[in-house]
Amino acid sequence: MPRNTVGAQPDQSWAQDYYQPASPAGTWPAPPRAAKPTAKTAADHQPQRRTAKSRVDEWMDVDFKFGGSRIKRKAIALVLLGLPAPVPLFFMLPALLTLNSNTFAVSVDDTLGTGAEVCLFLCLLVTPMVTLTGQHWFVPLRRWYGIMMAATSIGDAVAASITDTFAGGVFGRVAGHVFELMGFFMVMLVIPIVCTSNPWAQRKLGKYWKRFQRLTYVIWGLLACHLMLLEGFGFESGNNGSGFAGDGDAIFHQRFYQYSACSLFLLTLRLPPIKRWIADRQKEGRMWLVWVTVAPIFALFLLGFVFILNEQIFKGIDSFTNNPSNE
Amino acid sequence: MTSEAYPGPARPGVTTGGVMIMAISCLSTLLLIAAFAYAAGVGQRHTAALAAADCEPNLSPSGQQCTTQPMMAAEYLALLAPASQQLTTDAAAYAANEGDHLAVAEAALTAEVAADRALGRSLAAFPFPAGIAPIAKGLIQANLARAALTAEQARASSLSRMQSFDRRVELADAAVQTEMTLVRTAVDAPLPGA
Repeated sequence: MPRNTVGAQPDQSWAQDYYQPASPAGTWPAPPRAAKPTAKTAADHQPQRRTAKSRVDEWMDVDFKFGGSRIKRKAIALVLLGLPAPVPLFFMLPALLTLNSNTFAVSVDDTLGTGAEVCLFLCLLVTPMVTLTGQHWFVPLRRWYGIMMAATSIGDAVAASITDTFAGGVFGRVAGHVFELMGFFMVMLVIPIVCTSNPWAQRKLGKYWKRFQRLTYVIWGLLACHLMLLEGFGFESGNNGSGFAGDGDAIFHQRFYQYSACSLFLLTLRLPPIKRWIADRQKEGRMWLVWVTVAPIFALFLLGFVFILNEQIFKGIDSFTNNPSNE
Repeated sequence: MTSEAYPGPARPGVTTGGVMIMAISCLSTLLLIAAFAYAAGVGQRHTAALAAADCEPNLSPSGQQCTTQPMMAAEYLALLAPASQQLTTDAAAYAANEGDHLAVAEAALTAEVAADRALGRSLAAFPFPAGIAPIAKGLIQANLARAALTAEQARASSLSRMQSFDRRVELADAAVQTEMTLVRTAVDAPLPGA
């Protein structure tokens, strides 16, 4: 059986991992090294992947009539899938409109911080889903979730700088503790990333654009440090430690564990040898093996993600009703 | 074409990627099994944790981690105090005007009815423990009866007719006060089983 080379190039594997414009893949600039002559044949390169549309991609590209205009199915699907992203900001809206500093001081970190984490994971989820399904219609969500992650985390930092109770003025409130400093670095990194996540910046930065967008991975790593420093590795025992033990599942509420459970899946499907292995199985027509192997990793991702969403929904509703929870 | 570029085995056996994903998959499976085993004991740990924190399990859904006896008493007082203050103010306004200003007296009674009904709604939503709930129900009913009577009084067309309700309202008020004392005693007392 010939060895499939679709996923065999680390350069191209990683090339999917940052924001891409919402336009179809055809407008995407070629990876910098794609033009260099290599020992590989032309068939090895990215265009082969881009021209091969899955049946779902083709179905999503079909347009239908809606209110006198024609809309692609994928536009509706993308809007529906993108709708949850601004919800964390929506949760804080009543507190903002009523200038309720108590709600901001008590729960903005949980509501917007968790919201930014959710958006980051959803943004990072796009590439593994492309790898697994071979579909590309949902790739624009990566950019949307990235932008919303930036908006949410910047909102969190601004609110914390005004309403937190830490000493040391504005800087003390956003970077007075080491875990806060990690969050501050994340926000400082997310600003240039979001400012350059547009076609104009992409053209201007050329081959450096992709490298620059890879700073998203630094944010991913800093989030690990942020959560480790915030909650440590342990979990609540009695009334001490992290993760609320009142409902009896303190481990599931431990934020670093949630992060790890989600990140395992997101990281695993980005590793070049694993992407090659999946591509080989796809080539052999043995996708069932991929699904069976990936299922537990994905289930672990879902387990972590469900508890992050649980936190987001409950803390968010408390914030929305101006009855903030300081759990 | 690709087979020329990458001459590999006819059927790739063990590859780095294969070993890695199998190992991660096995690790994930073990973690999932551990998670399910842990989840099986959630109920017991929940009860134990609340007991250790001196909480009553049925008092927890108020959005707090745990509601202890003093916390519940404080919450109940926090609910009652502003309502009582409002009712006292409205009653005083009625008493000052029942002799000569029909419109003002009517407005005071209408405000009293609104405050009474708001108190009734707050009491109905309050997470009373099972032992106190029946007593609280009595308070809610007495409060509703008083509100209905005051509303009827507010609709009176003359001052004399309005004043004719005073005695009945006083009795209804006394009934509410009695029920309030019962609830207050129950809330301040140690919870059953604590």
